[in-house]
Amino acid sequence: MLLILKYIAKLLKALASEASPNQLAGGFILGMIIGMTPVMSIHNLVILVLVIILKVNIGMVILAFLVFSGIAYLADPLFHSFGGWLLEMESMQTIWTNMYNNEFWATTKFYNTVVLGSLITAVILCLPGFPLTRVGVIQYRKHIHERVMKTKLVKALKGSKLYSIYQTVNKVRGK
Amino acid sequence: MRVKGIVFLLIVAVLVFLISWISVDSMIEEEIEYQASIANGALVEIDGLDIDIIDLKVRWDKLQVTNPENTMSNTFETGEMELDFLFWPTWWERVIVEDVVLKGLKMDTERETDGYFEIPEGEEDPDAEAGFVAEVIGDVTSEISQNAKMQFTDIKTDLNVDSLMAELDLRAPEKIDSLKNGIEQNYQKWDSTFANTGIDKEIASIEKAINAIDVKSMKDPKKAIAAIKDVQKMAKQVDSLKANAEGIKKGFQEDLSSAKFSTGNIDKWIEEDYRQAMDMAKLPTIDAGNIAQSIFGKNLVADYAGYMEYVAIARKYGSQRTNGEDEEKIERYEGKDYKFSDKYDWPKLWIQNINLSGETKTAIKIAGQITNISSDQKKTKEPIKFNIGGKDDGNREMKLTGEFNYLGEEPTEAINFSYNGFSLAGTKISPSELLPYPLNEGAGEVSASVSIVDKRFDSEIDYSMKGLSFNFGENLPQGQVQQLIRDAVSDASQIDVSALIDNVNGPLDVKIRSNLDDLFVNALKGTVSKEVDQARQKIESEVQNRIGNRKEELLVFKKEKEAEIRKKSEQLENRVNDVAKKAESKKKELEKKKKELEDALKNKLKDKIGF
Repeated sequence: MLLILKYIAKLLKALASEASPNQLAGGFILGMIIGMTPVMSIHNLVILVLVIILKVNIGMVILAFLVFSGIAYLADPLFHSFGGWLLEMESMQTIWTNMYNNEFWATTKFYNTVVLGSLITAVILCLPGFPLTRVGVIQYRKHIHERVMKTKLVKALKGSKLYSIYQTVNKVRGK
Repeated sequence: MRVKGIVFLLIVAVLVFLISWISVDSMIEEEIEYQASIANGALVEIDGLDIDIIDLKVRWDKLQVTNPENTMSNTFETGEMELDFLFWPTWWERVIVEDVVLKGLKMDTERETDGYFEIPEGEEDPDAEAGFVAEVIGDVTSEISQNAKMQFTDIKTDLNVDSLMAELDLRAPEKIDSLKNGIEQNYQKWDSTFANTGIDKEIASIEKAINAIDVKSMKDPKKAIAAIKDVQKMAKQVDSLKANAEGIKKGFQEDLSSAKFSTGNIDKWIEEDYRQAMDMAKLPTIDAGNIAQSIFGKNLVADYAGYMEYVAIARKYGSQRTNGEDEEKIERYEGKDYKFSDKYDWPKLWIQNINLSGETKTAIKIAGQITNISSDQKKTKEPIKFNIGGKDDGNREMKLTGEFNYLGEEPTEAINFSYNGFSLAGTKISPSELLPYPLNEGAGEVSASVSIVDKRFDSEIDYSMKGLSFNFGENLPQGQVQQLIRDAVSDASQIDVSALIDNVNGPLDVKIRSNLDDLFVNALKGTVSKEVDQARQKIESEVQNRIGNRKEELLVFKKEKEAEIRKKSEQLENRVNDVAKKAESKKKELEKKKKELEDALKNKLKDKIGF
């Protein structure tokens, strides 16, 4: 709980001014990929490594993951149909077969309709997702942040015991 | 780049490696032991398991597989074993083992601790196919023991025909008496029918009326015509009486020929009583099959059960295979896997090659190969084959080959086993008390073949015991049968036994033959079968005595009464026929008379008219 609170606080701070819009947008698209595709997939291990080694905002990764997990739950039948359509495309059969017969590619389970459908959807969404998030962060800082900080939810959050514990821990750790 | 992140990943990787290095072997060892114990039905223990993920090898120091029938012994145990498995199939939860090298295989070893394993609830194996094998073993055992052991050992007890007859409840005398009563009552009924029929009286009265017609004194044609009419009426009456008499005769004949009063069953009743007495006496039918089954049946069944155990194990796992292990259940939102080739169509377990070495319980060093043990032969497209053999300095040789093939629609299994040159000195060739003598010397050869297609099996076991010399000791044979067998085997230096067990033509057929059969049969025919025949004759004559002359008396009585009634019937019939003839004759006489009178009258009229 403390960890989630930490990242929410960090996210709020980052949204305010601390992190660059690129880091936030990067976190957003990586979180989106993890959220939209089946969690226990090999490609998500790669995404997780990228999250750890790249300077993306982890709070944004978590937020995007939570939001897109919910969306993915509803959109799975669409991913299944989309993945099925892709796997049955005549022109792609040679590629799919070669990939299937290669053990490394086969471990990615690309031959599963939902894995392929959701991953391709997520990758496609990354293209507009990254610049849009970047613009969104800038606009947020300009017009919305002040108002968010004054909302009752944020005030209540700041007034909670957990938040004060978190603040104390941060002070002790010298942050 | 986040440096702390990279450091974190490195730390995690090192930790995972260390943890798996320290604990993965024991965890896997426990899991394998648990699963294997469930499959075996008794404890399976592995010592010193070592899994080398980098070289893709598994090794262990010792494996013990407890015998579920006797948990203080192992079905087999192995020494060092090393196997190579493929990496990629493990990703799909498949275990494909390319090569296994298994040393120090020992069969049927003793355990230091009890290997009992309680199978957790819900983990029991239905094991339907192994049930078939158990059924076959049970049927063969039952067939052999019923046909031979029981009957043949009973002959040794002295047969007391008197006490047997005292217990025997003969039914034939009672049935014959009852039949006689029934026949008697029936004849009385027919006596009474003939006595009270009334036909006699009516015939007599008609006869009287016919005789009373005096044709010669008739002068008037009108009277002749009236008499003719009377005779015709009487003839009709006679016809009716004739039909009546014939009806009575027919009824009588039908009654006599009915099954109810048939004496044809008497022999059957006597036969049934005789058979009942023979059953109680348990007199054996002495033939070669009975003797061979008595002496060698038990050993052969034990061996046969041993061969069938292999089939049971194979069928057990074969039946699991047929359940379609890879049938994929598509959960909602889990999507569907497309297959672009059959590259990953592996069975759950496939051990491609096992090279084993060890020794049998009788200390023959053996070595061999088992190939393509798999949980689904349709995926490997290869049957299980095994070829194990060995030889020792003392010229003992053992060979076991076979194939378990589940590729077709019907499972087929074939096992061939041979074991030659083993010494029989100091052993008994039969557990039967009919042949209790150990051997001073002798060598044995065994060959067996079992072939099963679905539930049809065809098997043959051949024993050959050569250079035999029995140690009869100083004890005298107990009973004549033992004496005869002793005499027979003392002259034979070689005994060959063959068992043919099959159900190819439908019901189970067990045939056990030996070259001693003829010797036994000849000797038995001279003595034991003479006794048996005497006992049989005694029983037969006792049964006949009790039945006495009932049958003959009844037949004589029936014959006499039948003749008597037939005579009465014939007399009645003759009498009716006589009167009918008389009526016919009288009618003709009257018609002639009538014509004469009419002619006379016509002549008179002509004379008067003046023609």
